[in-house]
Amino acid sequence: MRNIYLIFRRDYLGYVKAWGFWLSLAAVPLFMLIGGAFAAFAAKSSPVRYYAVVESGSVYADAIDAEFARDEEDIGNQAREMAEGMELTDAQRDQLENSSVAPSRKFIRVPAPATAIDDLRPYLLGQQLVSGPLGDKPLFAVFIPSSDGASLEYWSDDVSVSALRWQAENAMRRLARQQALGEAGLDADFLETVDGGALKVPAHRIRTVANQTTTGSKVTMADKAPVYVSVGLAYFLWLMIFSIIQYLLMGTIEERSNKIFDTLLTSVKLEELLAGKLLAVFAVTSTMMVSWGLFALGTSLFATSQIPGGASLLSPFLSALANPAIIVPGLISFLLGYVMYGMIFMALGSLCDTIQEAQTLLSPMMILLMLPMFAIFIAFQDPGSPVIDIASWIPVFTPFLLILRMPHNPPMWEIIAQMLIMAVTAATILWLATKVYRAGAIHGAGIGDLGGVFKRLFSRKKG
Amino acid sequence: MGLPPLVMDHVTKRFGAFTAVNDLSLEVPEGAIIGFLGPNGAGKSTSLRMALGVMQPDSGAVSLFGKPPEIATLKRVGFLPEERGLYKKMTTRATIEHFARLKGLSARDARARAIELLDMSGLGEFKATRISKLSKGMAQKVQILSTLAHRPDFLILDEPFSGLDPVNQQILEDLIRAEHDRGATILFSTHVMEHAERLCDRIVMMARGRKVFDGTLDNAFNALGQGARIAVSEGFDLAAALAPKGFEAQRAPDKGLGDAWRISLRPGTGAQDALRAAIEAGAPIVGFAPEEARLRDVFVSLVGEADAAALFEATPAGEAV
Repeated sequence: MRNIYLIFRRDYLGYVKAWGFWLSLAAVPLFMLIGGAFAAFAAKSSPVRYYAVVESGSVYADAIDAEFARDEEDIGNQAREMAEGMELTDAQRDQLENSSVAPSRKFIRVPAPATAIDDLRPYLLGQQLVSGPLGDKPLFAVFIPSSDGASLEYWSDDVSVSALRWQAENAMRRLARQQALGEAGLDADFLETVDGGALKVPAHRIRTVANQTTTGSKVTMADKAPVYVSVGLAYFLWLMIFSIIQYLLMGTIEERSNKIFDTLLTSVKLEELLAGKLLAVFAVTSTMMVSWGLFALGTSLFATSQIPGGASLLSPFLSALANPAIIVPGLISFLLGYVMYGMIFMALGSLCDTIQEAQTLLSPMMILLMLPMFAIFIAFQDPGSPVIDIASWIPVFTPFLLILRMPHNPPMWEIIAQMLIMAVTAATILWLATKVYRAGAIHGAGIGDLGGVFKRLFSRKKG
Repeated sequence: MGLPPLVMDHVTKRFGAFTAVNDLSLEVPEGAIIGFLGPNGAGKSTSLRMALGVMQPDSGAVSLFGKPPEIATLKRVGFLPEERGLYKKMTTRATIEHFARLKGLSARDARARAIELLDMSGLGEFKATRISKLSKGMAQKVQILSTLAHRPDFLILDEPFSGLDPVNQQILEDLIRAEHDRGATILFSTHVMEHAERLCDRIVMMARGRKVFDGTLDNAFNALGQGARIAVSEGFDLAAALAPKGFEAQRAPDKGLGDAWRISLRPGTGAQDALRAAIEAGAPIVGFAPEEARLRDVFVSLVGEADAAALFEATPAGEAV
């Protein structure tokens, strides 16, 4: 154990003392902060633009205004729905619903300064300004009915911004419906009234009688959190494996090119050397992931503290994470998956003399790693898919898919069998990779000798 | 006397069809300094790697301090591999400390020992310098210090002088002597015969995977026999002229004035006797030198000109001091 610790310590300190490690560590939170700040700034700093509708009355203008009002109401409804999914007191719910103010409008209607497009041209080109609630500004867009009355023309100097035109299109569609209903002798709000009277289809979670008595049948975030947590764990494992490739490849190449193996192997056993190195890279990536996780948790806690009763948003996720039915198989899959992939990369790295040689290996490794990523995606969409059922028996996918299947309560025998297969595969890979590593590190075998290494291995076994 | 630090018993190692080491038997007694000589490819490094358990022999047995090579026994061994290598981003002190700890020293002792060795070897001011910032010779010195850090009972040095300038070769020779005086047993491989002549009690010569000589320096020189070199005008057959007087002469490849001949001296005869006989035989002598036996001559006599040439070609001019 002491030798494993010493190898681990040297490798770990070697990695964390490098500038690249700190840059990587800082990069993710930094990009998250910059990205978040940028998005918030973009939303806040988005300019408020003036538009006008040229018409004798205000039918079109009112319809467009109503469309904006409807959007703002939808945002309020979404906040109410979210509040319903949270375990809040009535006071907190009221506070949440009242605080969910819709964002201020980015398009404000002003009276048209002229009626003909030629007269409006200087306003639309910014040569003349129009007055409005926010002071004098250029006219961003103007709607003018066509001479035949068949269309409402949209004129603007900046046609890349389409939000206003889409709102107008929706408004005109709704207006046409209302006119058709009126002509048919029906009330303008006939369709909304009909929709309002339709039967609701609320989701209920079937539970055991005992559970239903205490928990009820309403679908809450606590029902969905285990799925999100398992997806997070599977993705975390994938990300971890993805990020160790370079550490394991480059670290082993450095030792091979430094001709250091002989010195090491007269001080520690090969198995101790491998274990120490694997642990060091695990610790390096864990340090990164835990740091990022803590940052994400801190950010989430801060964000939820800004929402009344927001703490209840996180609690279902924390409960799911603490659930042994998810976390125990998750951890086992996690460790075995790490050992499987880690040993493959380390063994291949021991066969490379140069970074260029290692780079030729990176492409097939990326493809190998993209396959589980696709499987994770399919499993998230449809965990009951037969493809996922079958793929979860293939050891390279099992670590990811078993984690994803756990919230859906797969049969116990399947969990045990898949874990056993995974353990046997991990042990086999460990054995094979140790042989390959020995061939690379001690005998100087290269990638081209891989076939020969296996041939000798198995022919010796037969003999 | 304790158990011999190393015994190799009929050890053979093959790589495919190539036999790198063929039936090597060797014993390194406690307290000895043994030179392991031979040209590149003779099987020296493979033998040493088997001695350390880094590589397993195909047949035969190896024992270190009476046991098969294992990590516990290897704690008593310091090994300097032929292919030098250190972690380039580690400092000199951390490097020595790391390897000392791997050999069993506590963190505190390893650190103290690293500082002591660096100060002692003139590298004290480079304690916090990364290996990548050192010259090749200095880095090699650090690796040698790492090998000695845990005060091993048995030092195995594979081509320790390779890559060092004459001054550092001399420092290393002194270091080896100091380690020997401390009580360490030393086995070192080299293809520079002069180092072996100056340092060793005993030499083992390898050629093409086989041991061709194992004995003391005196044994080696006695095996060669004494001789003299006489150069005569071109075309004169000195062998025929000396044969009636009981001297055996052979053409020597030496370049110089006239034709060079090597005269083998029988016990009880000297170089002057051979010279006198040549004068009496009317030989047109242009040069004469009593032969001073060197290890390279022993090696030539044992393995022949072809293998010897390979050895001497591998020794860059000026490497030996």
